[in-house]
Amino acid sequence: MALLLGVLAPLQLFNDVVLRIGRALAIAALALMVCLILGQVFFRYVMNDAPNWTEEGARFLMLWMTGLIAPMAYRQGGFVAIDMLERALGRIASALLTLTLMTLALVVLIYCVQLGWSNVDSLTGRGKSASLRIPLGLLGGEDIRFRNAWAYTSLFVGFVLLTLVNIELMIRQIVTLLGGESRLKPLHDGDVARAD
Amino acid sequence: MLIWFLPLFLVLLMLGLPVVFGLLAAPGLLLILDGSTRDLAVLYRNLYNGMDSFPLMALPFFMLAGEIMNRGGITTRLVEFSQAFMGHLRGGLAHVNILSSILFAGLSGSAVADTSALGSTLIPAMEKNGYSRKFAAAITAASSVIGPIIPPSGIMIIYAYVMGESVAALFLAGIVPGIMVGVGLMVMVRLMADRYDLPKAERIVTKNQTITALEARVSFVLIRINVAGLLYAVFAGIRAALSLDINLNGWLIFLVFLPVAHGLMLWLRASVSDDFRLVCKKAVAPLQTPIIILGGILVGVFTPTEASAIAVAYAIVVSFFVLRSMTFKDLGPVLARSALASSAVLLLVGAAVAFKTVVSLSYAPQILTELILSLSENPLILLFLINILLFIVGMFLDAGPAIIILGPILGPIFTELGVHPVHFAIIMSVNLTVGLATPPMGLVLFVASSVSREKVETISRAILPFLAVEVVVIFLITYFPAISMTIPRLTGFVQ
Repeated sequence: MALLLGVLAPLQLFNDVVLRIGRALAIAALALMVCLILGQVFFRYVMNDAPNWTEEGARFLMLWMTGLIAPMAYRQGGFVAIDMLERALGRIASALLTLTLMTLALVVLIYCVQLGWSNVDSLTGRGKSASLRIPLGLLGGEDIRFRNAWAYTSLFVGFVLLTLVNIELMIRQIVTLLGGESRLKPLHDGDVARAD
Repeated sequence: MLIWFLPLFLVLLMLGLPVVFGLLAAPGLLLILDGSTRDLAVLYRNLYNGMDSFPLMALPFFMLAGEIMNRGGITTRLVEFSQAFMGHLRGGLAHVNILSSILFAGLSGSAVADTSALGSTLIPAMEKNGYSRKFAAAITAASSVIGPIIPPSGIMIIYAYVMGESVAALFLAGIVPGIMVGVGLMVMVRLMADRYDLPKAERIVTKNQTITALEARVSFVLIRINVAGLLYAVFAGIRAALSLDINLNGWLIFLVFLPVAHGLMLWLRASVSDDFRLVCKKAVAPLQTPIIILGGILVGVFTPTEASAIAVAYAIVVSFFVLRSMTFKDLGPVLARSALASSAVLLLVGAAVAFKTVVSLSYAPQILTELILSLSENPLILLFLINILLFIVGMFLDAGPAIIILGPILGPIFTELGVHPVHFAIIMSVNLTVGLATPPMGLVLFVASSVSREKVETISRAILPFLAVEVVVIFLITYFPAISMTIPRLTGFVQ
């Protein structure tokens, strides 16, 4: 038990800090997305000149928003599941079931991390965006075109963080199973918005 | 081998694996067992591509707009507005609850948001007026399913994206069914009012309200522009119907209608009390949102995603500058809540797109089609069976995931049988949204329970008469396509 809690503490701290940063970045990404799309409408109707990069830029931000904040949603129990069986079972059986399911989720996540990395490191990943670029031209340099890999990395990072969260949740589940529930820190303050 | 992935998926789901992992695990596992590990990369790429979508961006934006509106004290205004109109009827506050849900549905695309926003205001108010708490919670939950049926609608954006339909067509098709659910519930309340002797409320017009000079001016202008626009639309309709040959500049006609609208408002103003006028005035700015969204999409000036971004901007302008009910500090949590909720859904949609490609690789649709057609070849009977299936699924699963899983499997079968894809989309959406309020696992039941502190079981029993109404509406929508298809047809969004 002490060992488990010893492993859990630094992992929890790491997730706490990293996910909080992720949340802040995701908030910024969402705000920027709104601005870009509003800008797109503005330029089309007011300036009669629709820029070609706003849509792709907004999609880029949306992918990063998802990658950075989805782990927090998972941690707070925001991923939909049918928990009827779990509720119907007794304490130990239900904890064992949850642990099994989390192991399965871990396998899926590890595969996703691997596939995600090879996607980032692929031929298309090295390809460059047609419209997104860092406009160094304005400063007299040469524009740097966005690599596809920069967008692919969003989901890869998301899966890495999800894996860490999954491991944390698994350790918590084992601690609960061993009867140490009271020694766990609560993970969230309650309300998770839902899209339904 | 691949044929087993659907049953496998269902088993994983029933065991309680989060849907998003199930959508990836079932096809992934079979691809591995099949020895086609190379296709895993395709699965992953589809997951990524599924999320990398512009139409899907409407989802976080509409959520954000709804959250801002909700935080900005707009709910209270809508409730007061509804009270002024329906408070005097027998079972007044129940009617108010339903009307508020209809109005709120035009601002938000989520039943959960509707329940928590309206429930926290209306359930205590209803209790104070002599309604039982379980009745108040039940009517709140039952009417909140209108939220995702009347546009904007989260699940319709998802369905349109996964199935390649037009978001605009689906939005427009949802208007009449949503209002029908509302009217149906009102009829039920009226029937119950006599039987259970529900309290009658006076026409409640909140007295001595104040309105800032800025908001008064904004409302003044908005209402006239809207009425003039409405008159213009009627005029254009008549002109088209009679094929009159009037070649006048559209703006000119609109300008002519502006003073007419002003005159109309002056006439109306004389016939109501000052308080009533003020309550209505304070509802103008919030209720402009659906007009902007639908108007913009209908006229074709912007795409649904752009409309959703504009809805966000409008919500910010209204709650920051006109109503002054929000400050910059409130913006962070609101953005975070929307980002959190939509990230989970976006991941789910991506997984569904990956899942869908494996669905089409396997022979599952063909086998299911044969199976379904062996039951009956009559589309009407099949639709009835589907209604039952969706109803059962809705009892256990939230509308979003359910529509993501079942859409790609069921949609093509019924399209082949001659059911219009948009009609089928509405059948599925309404059916599964009503599922949000069905026991034992209806999501809004749990939300209503936490808002009202009434047990889920108690609300579940009290909601049954309202669910009966909603089931009737589902059948009407299923068997009379005109209910949902007329508006999209008239506006040319469906051929």
